Amino acid sequence: MRTFKVFLLVLTAFLLTGLLAACQPAATAPSAATQEASAPEEGATPMEASPQEAGAEAVTIQVYYPVAVDAPIADILKGYIEDFQKEYPAITVEPVFSGGYGDVQTAIQTTIDGGGEPPALAVMLATSLYDLINADYIIPLDEFINTASGGSGYLQDFLPAFLKNSYYNDQVWSIPFQRSAVVLYYNADMFREAGLQPPDSWQTWAKAAQALTKTEGDATNWGLQYPSGWPYWLFQPLAIGAGQNILKDDCTVTFDDPAVIDAVQFYIDLSAKYNAMPAGVQGVWATAPTDFASGSTAMIVHSSGSLRGILEQADFEVGVMPIPGKEAGTFASVPGGGNFYILKDTPPAQQEAAWKFIEFVTRPQYVADFSINTGYIATRASAYETDAMQAYTAKVPQALAARDALQYAGAELSTQNLGQVRNIFHDYLQRAYNGEMSASEAMAAAQSEAEAALADFCP
Amino acid sequence: MRTSRRKPGVLPYMLLLPTALFVALFTAWPVLLSVYQSVFRQRMNIARFREPVFVGLGNYRDLFSDPYFHQIIANTVRYALGTVPLSILLGFLFALLVNRRIRAVGVFRLAFFHPMVLPMVSAATIWMFFFTPGYGLFNAALRALGYNGPENWTGNPSLALLAVIIVAIWKNSGYYMIFYLAGMQNLPADVYEAAALDGASEWQALWKITLPLLRRTTVFITTIAFIDAFRTIDHIFVLTSGGPSRASTVLLFELWLQRFEYQDIGISAAITVIFVAVLLAFTVTNFIVSERQET
Repeated sequence: MRTFKVFLLVLTAFLLTGLLAACQPAATAPSAATQEASAPEEGATPMEASPQEAGAEAVTIQVYYPVAVDAPIADILKGYIEDFQKEYPAITVEPVFSGGYGDVQTAIQTTIDGGGEPPALAVMLATSLYDLINADYIIPLDEFINTASGGSGYLQDFLPAFLKNSYYNDQVWSIPFQRSAVVLYYNADMFREAGLQPPDSWQTWAKAAQALTKTEGDATNWGLQYPSGWPYWLFQPLAIGAGQNILKDDCTVTFDDPAVIDAVQFYIDLSAKYNAMPAGVQGVWATAPTDFASGSTAMIVHSSGSLRGILEQADFEVGVMPIPGKEAGTFASVPGGGNFYILKDTPPAQQEAAWKFIEFVTRPQYVADFSINTGYIATRASAYETDAMQAYTAKVPQALAARDALQYAGAELSTQNLGQVRNIFHDYLQRAYNGEMSASEAMAAAQSEAEAALADFCP
Repeated sequence: MRTSRRKPGVLPYMLLLPTALFVALFTAWPVLLSVYQSVFRQRMNIARFREPVFVGLGNYRDLFSDPYFHQIIANTVRYALGTVPLSILLGFLFALLVNRRIRAVGVFRLAFFHPMVLPMVSAATIWMFFFTPGYGLFNAALRALGYNGPENWTGNPSLALLAVIIVAIWKNSGYYMIFYLAGMQNLPADVYEAAALDGASEWQALWKITLPLLRRTTVFITTIAFIDAFRTIDHIFVLTSGGPSRASTVLLFELWLQRFEYQDIGISAAITVIFVAVLLAFTVTNFIVSERQET
């Protein structure tokens, strides 16, 4: 009995801790066991389909794709894959849908670290560029681009703001696809009733937000909601609008620049001085679009990706514009979203097939269709000239306003060691928002910690 | 008899083999691997640190000299102390309540248990709306009770951890209730009858009979509650993202950050080892203490 108890004890203890240990993925050096196990599979998949057309080698590729957005992405993408396979019958595209961008990247990391073969193609955050290059997960696309119909003209057709996170060492590493931007949504009806113009400076913006903030009993209808639960992205337009983005290049951040401190102070002033939005960190990313669409908040700063949902719910005229800058007549924005990456350590035939798929779904008619059906910003200038897009923007001019905001955009925060640098910035930005530190103290601390975090990467 | 008891020899081990293999492969091996990896510096997102370099206990030294890690340990301890005793107590009280012959007992049982059925992410999403400053249900209820403090639960550094603790308690109490309820329904009725004949009050019966007889259940629930407290972080992703300013970052959340956001294999392996050691120590102590009391 006693030994049985000991046995049970050891067994349960191991089982319980095993659940935790599972969080720690397998070694980077592929163990013999996993290699052996995956080897037959690798060979099996491409062999299965027999070559269909003369000369065309049958090839199967996987696409990892994040679907955690407010649109039926999976169905839309499956439609494109069907169209693609009509044109390229020898290529089979298997979509693998997972939660968010983070989940896709985690899945690929664990596959590669565990010694498995990654998918040939994936959509991941544009800002993951340096982490993906440093980990040696992706390949540059220049050779493919040169063979593209239209050659280098292919790339020039993309909106420049969306390409800002694609270059490294003069090479192109990703192709924009599922892209958005930070915009200001305003309730045009409320502005008209109050005799206000859409803001064109921090001053007029703060005054408008103040004028539209109304308190009745316990409930306050705020003039502005500005989510800051995960704050760097929505904050960046403030810094850009003050004259200095929060980064210069992949090794240089400018958190303690006077303009950036100015921008932090303006965010604080919007509640402390103007009483025009809730105080402190606002963890309202999910609720802000609903509050805006129901008319209880006059303005929100949010992703252009929320446009579709807002337009479906709102019974007033929805205004979309870039974020007002500090000086009158200046504006700012910042792009966001995901790009196509081709993964390394996949057979060349798969990489070529992956490129063909990229080229196919970035054709103007598909870019236009994707934008119309999801609310993402069409990434290519020529997409706006298609008939479908013309008809759509005639009906929904806000989609053009979102695109136009991009002319004021700076680069999204993307540095070496991004996760850590971003977390440091979040930490201190939120301290400043919550009044735990002054704006200048917080940004000075963020700068020195971020420089320490970059030291190993940028000798 | 004696010889035949000794004979089976191989058979029990054969029967244990599948389990033993499973445990070795999916539990023991990853743990050993983590111990091994934790003495190397390896960062996947720095080209020159991609190959592991032996650093001895360097990763542990780095962790324990990092003031952020101290804050995270403190958060984790607060989170465990905040969730475990209270959710067990509530589970016990709920079980007492629904174990009685009262009207609509099914409704109560369902009400207490349904949070357990919800996935944590859905539960957290519901609570995100409850916590909304201004019109959120939680704040409205508190206001009705006379509360007029800060309402920004997820954005306030001194409330964020409390907010995720509240959700965990709400989620888990009903689960623990089920174990207590099962335990109570297995208690022998004649003991209570004897006590009643001896003139014991209900209060005495609770203290002198119910609680002692449910001790093993309590040990079991304490163990799973403690492990849950370390293991459940889904709601933190939804509600606070570990913020504001890391105020609600607990150990497992930090592990995820180090491994997948910072791609630091060495540090994340070291955290895993610390994690496993703490839980193993707790589980074993809990088991030994309870077994000792038994005899």
